[in-house]
Amino acid sequence: MIARARASALILSLAALFAWPSLAAQDVALLKDLTSVIMLLGSPCDQVVSAKRQADNDHIASCRNGDRYRVFVNAEGRVVAQKQ
Amino acid sequence: MLETRVENAAENTMSAARITGILFFTLAAGCAGLKEAPPPSVAAESEARRETPIALAPPPAGPHQPVKTVMTENEVLGLDPVAGAPTSPSKGKSAARAAPSSATGPAKVSASPAAVEQARKNEGPPAAARNPEPPLDVAALTARLRETNAIGVFTKLALKNQVDDLLKQFQAYHEGGQKTGVAPLRQPYDMLVLKVLSAVQDKDPSLARTIAGSREAIWGILADPEKFKSVA
Repeated sequence: MIARARASALILSLAALFAWPSLAAQDVALLKDLTSVIMLLGSPCDQVVSAKRQADNDHIASCRNGDRYRVFVNAEGRVVAQKQ
Repeated sequence: MLETRVENAAENTMSAARITGILFFTLAAGCAGLKEAPPPSVAAESEARRETPIALAPPPAGPHQPVKTVMTENEVLGLDPVAGAPTSPSKGKSAARAAPSSATGPAKVSASPAAVEQARKNEGPPAAARNPEPPLDVAALTARLRETNAIGVFTKLALKNQVDDLLKQFQAYHEGGQKTGVAPLRQPYDMLVLKVLSAVQDKDPSLARTIAGSREAIWGILADPEKFKSVA
């Protein structure tokens, strides 16, 4: 019983080990996307360092300089970077 | 007896688990030090792009024309204009300026006509003759932009919004029949192309080259009311 539990723990930890890089890559891609869209819309943000998902296509992005933007797609289908 | 067997089995499992754990730790530690190197051609290209500034606007005209010290974007990317694309007047001017300035430059090299002829023979046909660019395919270019992974969803959508805005301005110009033409829209168009290029050039240099090479051809379509109607 104990051995089975340990084997399960080992499998889970291995799965986490292999899943971690892909999750991290997704995060990095999202941060880069948010950085480029904020800059594209003319708002100052050298780099987005963290993002919090609020809904589909709706994130709060925190820039390295301390600025925070809500990046979302509005009802007209336009991407908006709204300073918080 | 049974308990001893169970204990032995548990010990064996534990030791196997430890060995596996150590192996994976070693593997992970080895992978942590690796960094994927870009292919040599891309690395060289990005290096060249980093080192060479891109001239965004023609230099101001004056009595003394300065020697051309910066490369244009197409020169940096190693591009020739798309076949059939109209040549911008600024390019012609800069080429015309470059010739006299190089002729009157401080370092004059005298070469015999035979040597010049030999050098011409060694050069071979011009780059445009070697690699004739295919005509502009707007639909294919749009599809490539839509499918590229070089830019994220938000960036793609924001760029599409800006492209749509610019197209509306072109439409208004063509429908209004203004005598000034579409010349005032050239700068917003150039800015938008640069935005797209800066978004894709790092991760999809091939697409960036295609866009940069199609720049004048796209402008030709947008500026011509008949062609614009057929595309829009």
